[in-house]
Amino acid sequence: MPADPNMKILVVDDMSTMRRIVKNILKQLGFNNLEEAENGQEALTKLKADTYGFVVSDWNMPVMMGIDMLRAIRADEKLKKIPVLMVTAEAQKENLMEAVQAGVSNYVVKPFTAETMQEKINKIFK
Amino acid sequence: MSDEMQEILNDFLTESNEMLEVLDQRFVTLESDPNNTDLLNEIFRAMHSMKGSAGFLGFNHLVDVAHRGENILNKLRQAEMAVNPAIISVILETIDVIKAIMADIRESGTDNHVATAAIASKLDDIINGTVSTAAPAAAPKVEAAAPVQETPALPPPTLGEILVNEGLASKDQVLDALNAQQHQPDPKTPLGEILLQAKAITERALDQALHKQEKQPKPAEEDATIRVETKRLDSVMNLVGELVLGRNRLIKIGTQLEQNHEADPQVRVLSETLAQLNLVTTDLQLAVMKTRMLPIKKVFAKLPRMVRDLSQKLNKQVHLEMRGEETELDKSVADEIGDPLVHLVRNAIDHGIETPAERQAKGKQAGGQLTIAASQEGNSIVIRINDDGRGIQVEKIKAKALAKGLISEAELATMEHREVLNLIFLPGFSTAEQVTDVSGRGVGMDVVRTNIRKINGSVDLESEPGKGSQVIIKLPLTIAIIQALMVEVERSIFAIPLSTVIEAVLISRSDIKTINGREVLHLRDRVLPLIRLAQEFDIPTDKERERFYVVVAALGDRRVGVVVDELRSQEEVVIKSIWDYLETIKGVSGATITGEGKVVLILDTSELVQNAQAWHNSGMAV
Repeated sequence: MPADPNMKILVVDDMSTMRRIVKNILKQLGFNNLEEAENGQEALTKLKADTYGFVVSDWNMPVMMGIDMLRAIRADEKLKKIPVLMVTAEAQKENLMEAVQAGVSNYVVKPFTAETMQEKINKIFK
Repeated sequence: MSDEMQEILNDFLTESNEMLEVLDQRFVTLESDPNNTDLLNEIFRAMHSMKGSAGFLGFNHLVDVAHRGENILNKLRQAEMAVNPAIISVILETIDVIKAIMADIRESGTDNHVATAAIASKLDDIINGTVSTAAPAAAPKVEAAAPVQETPALPPPTLGEILVNEGLASKDQVLDALNAQQHQPDPKTPLGEILLQAKAITERALDQALHKQEKQPKPAEEDATIRVETKRLDSVMNLVGELVLGRNRLIKIGTQLEQNHEADPQVRVLSETLAQLNLVTTDLQLAVMKTRMLPIKKVFAKLPRMVRDLSQKLNKQVHLEMRGEETELDKSVADEIGDPLVHLVRNAIDHGIETPAERQAKGKQAGGQLTIAASQEGNSIVIRINDDGRGIQVEKIKAKALAKGLISEAELATMEHREVLNLIFLPGFSTAEQVTDVSGRGVGMDVVRTNIRKINGSVDLESEPGKGSQVIIKLPLTIAIIQALMVEVERSIFAIPLSTVIEAVLISRSDIKTINGREVLHLRDRVLPLIRLAQEFDIPTDKERERFYVVVAALGDRRVGVVVDELRSQEEVVIKSIWDYLETIKGVSGATITGEGKVVLILDTSELVQNAQAWHNSGMAV
């Protein structure tokens, strides 16, 4: 099932510049229904309140880390099917096993291009 | 570059600069609390996030430096390396380099102009363990404000929880009611009502609980804040200023109409509408002013780092305490006060606080106390800088002022203790016996006062030898709109800022005396130098008047009498800069438009006082 361009995507990052960059890339790929959250906790609240088709999240955030948010999503009956793409830094590659075990759909290493993002999305929504 | 990319770049610069400011402060805290993992995580995250965004924007030099810094921070937070002053110094240096790179990006759009090799090798040395990371002699301790604890937001308590917690209902009663509610078809009866019906609680108890629930802080609303360019706020403020001027004019016209056509019902309706407009304009003005207010924390943020570096350099120990960081002031005032504040804090550490040995010999604690406190007092913001150092010797000031010819012996004799202290603000004065590279060369305090006066503020000094000094800065809440006394000279109108006016007196020509060719007025026990505005601004005078008004204006302890023909009114005036159109005019700080639609110059009282005092002093010295 290819990705629906109208699906609502949640971009989670504590730095507003990064949210903007990720949103900008998603827009280039034709996704315009974009929402943002500053940390895992805020993301969970938003996810529970609405229907989202995809989550792109940073790893290291205050209040609630990306990995903890991912675990909470997978543990929630209503949310567990939502694909989650983790944005990680090179240095956190070693933590990827943790993310895979927690049920991450895919990951992308910063900085990435729109093409890379497209590839990841294609893999997730094939 | 596309608009979107330009906006992202601007965002990045703003956000990174905010992070860097916080980082400085956090590092200084870290030094006194090296095992604080939360703090280390926060610092790591900031560096990490900045690196992440920089990568997307293609700033590879920045990424490189931040990456090396991040490596060390990662080791620190995972306790693979211990925090010590040597490491912190290098990381602070790293932050300085990052700041320089940010400035470069802002200027040139690239990050190629800042040398990064030196800092990179220093960071590598730490990572490779090629420098001793053993703690050197204990670093000067600086206490910064404790970091704000971020507690994860808890969901607000439910009505049931409140009732149980407050002892208004038992847990069983609430559970029973919730159970009953569960089994009801939609729409369900509210919990409170079920409890009421079951007679488990009284109506009053319910009201009490509901009230309490309402008062619970709501979870932060999303997008509760937006970033707005200062330029836009400036233009809104400017427009409000124009509106205030328009309103003032309308009210003048309305009042005249009312006097001439009292019986006309339309005029009465106009007056009512004007009163309404007046109210709304005042509210709007206040509201816009509030959008421009910043907590003074922004200005204070750079102080802990500075105090740390300086005390280390001078081998002194300084405990810095900052209070009232939430006090808000206008952005334009905040922008101007940073440098003077830095200078005063430098002075306090350089000249005020003694070395540990010197302090102990005097029976003081080895570490000096430096307190910076901000508060709002009426329409002013007051900043007090206190140190418990050696204080200032009045005799030394007197000797120096005399030696430099800044003041005459006769004048000194009449001066009070505080007036003498404030001589250090005179141009060309320095009390330091030795010029250090830390606190300027005698131009410092003069510049401090000039800058503070530029924004209509004042600065005052108090000191007790051996016990310490206090500098008190008073700043206006806003600098765009002021209360002014409108005066008339030969049919020309001038505005004098009301904050500098002490009183106005009516005098006869014969009251004016001449000393050394200069006009003065004996007002009570004071000799007041006089300034004739007509002369000051070359306004031709028809004939000598018999009676004048003298407006007594003051700045700190110095006073001057401004001779005018008439006092007109007190008005709220909007300051308009005139420097785009006119070269600097001595004694004028700007212009405004009156209710009558006339352009009026606003007098720069500080300059007038300074000029008057200068010739007054030179006259006395002859």
